[in-house]
Amino acid sequence: MRKILIIEDDVFLKNLESNKLKKDNYEIITASTGDEAMDKINEPGIDLILLDLILPGIDGFDVLKKIKETENIKSIPVIVFSNLSEEEDIKKAKELGAAEFMVKSNFSLDELSEHISKMLS
Amino acid sequence: MSNEIEKLQEENIKLKRISSTKSDLISISGHELRTSLSALKWILKMFIDRDLGEITLEQENFMQKALISSNRMIDLVNKLLILNHSEELDIPFNFQKLNIVDLIDQVIFEFSSEAHKKSVELIFLKSNKNIPEMVGDEEMLRVVFQNLIENAIKYEDRDDKIFISIKYNEQDKDVEISIRDTGIGIGDKDQEKIFTKFFRGTEAIKKDGSGNGLGLFAAKNIIEHHKGKIWVESKLNIGTTFFIKLPINLTN
Repeated sequence: MRKILIIEDDVFLKNLESNKLKKDNYEIITASTGDEAMDKINEPGIDLILLDLILPGIDGFDVLKKIKETENIKSIPVIVFSNLSEEEDIKKAKELGAAEFMVKSNFSLDELSEHISKMLS
Repeated sequence: MSNEIEKLQEENIKLKRISSTKSDLISISGHELRTSLSALKWILKMFIDRDLGEITLEQENFMQKALISSNRMIDLVNKLLILNHSEELDIPFNFQKLNIVDLIDQVIFEFSSEAHKKSVELIFLKSNKNIPEMVGDEEMLRVVFQNLIENAIKYEDRDDKIFISIKYNEQDKDVEISIRDTGIGIGDKDQEKIFTKFFRGTEAIKKDGSGNGLGLFAAKNIIEHHKGKIWVESKLNIGTTFFIKLPINLTN
């Protein structure tokens, strides 16, 4: 079973995402702050990270940077899943090594799940 | 006289500050709206998918209507956020050195999830020769590529491929970029008018009712400001290729 780390501070959205992906047979771990994320990224066996950008404490960009700088986790694909869409944010996400940038409100949870399964196949 | 100039300068600074604050507020509001709209969209879809229990056909119909409504709102927020930056097109051009391959790469990255959604593949064919740095307004050119790639995705069908290619012409010291799709195509009559303000082709309107007809008009404007050329070749139901030629150095 593939393992996904969801980093999302909005409890409601995080639960919706988590429940949907669990239903689609993924093992889910979550983090709701930047600091918690820094911890959880070190858990073994993570296949994909879903990363929100606006987080309390350390923001998503810093988490992304840390992931891509750390030897044994930098190869994990990171999908930035955010409701921001400013040019600088998308540019920055790409430069920091995000595999994709998805605007939450442009996708249903089914579409998110399909995206993830394509990426992991 | 210098008093008046000073007054104008002060007014100008004030207006710029107001405009920038307004723009920031709109960005923040847009983000807030999207957060609520995401939740709404996802929950409605969960009802329709029977993830929250069985519902009657009639209930499903109502949920579908609500979902269409919420997707319309999401569309509108997306448009407002784009419009929020459109005043930047009135700002004079800022020509600097730029790497055109990197720029196109960034735009492709930006649209890769939209493309995935429609199972459309964006393929960037870079020439094997190194493409030198060129002079241009990076943000303006970004708008051009965003427009062309967004259109290519919009007017494609599922499982199609969009080819973006770039090559450097050493003799003429210019780059030629092409964006080729296998979508609905543009009729001959429409091709003549495609770069005019507010014009939308008949096939385009059929395929997608939204769209304001400003994209290609702005694109042509920007390319011509760079002393370049933009043109199109297309056949209905077969596909469309947009071509852009840009001089490497504007003093040419």
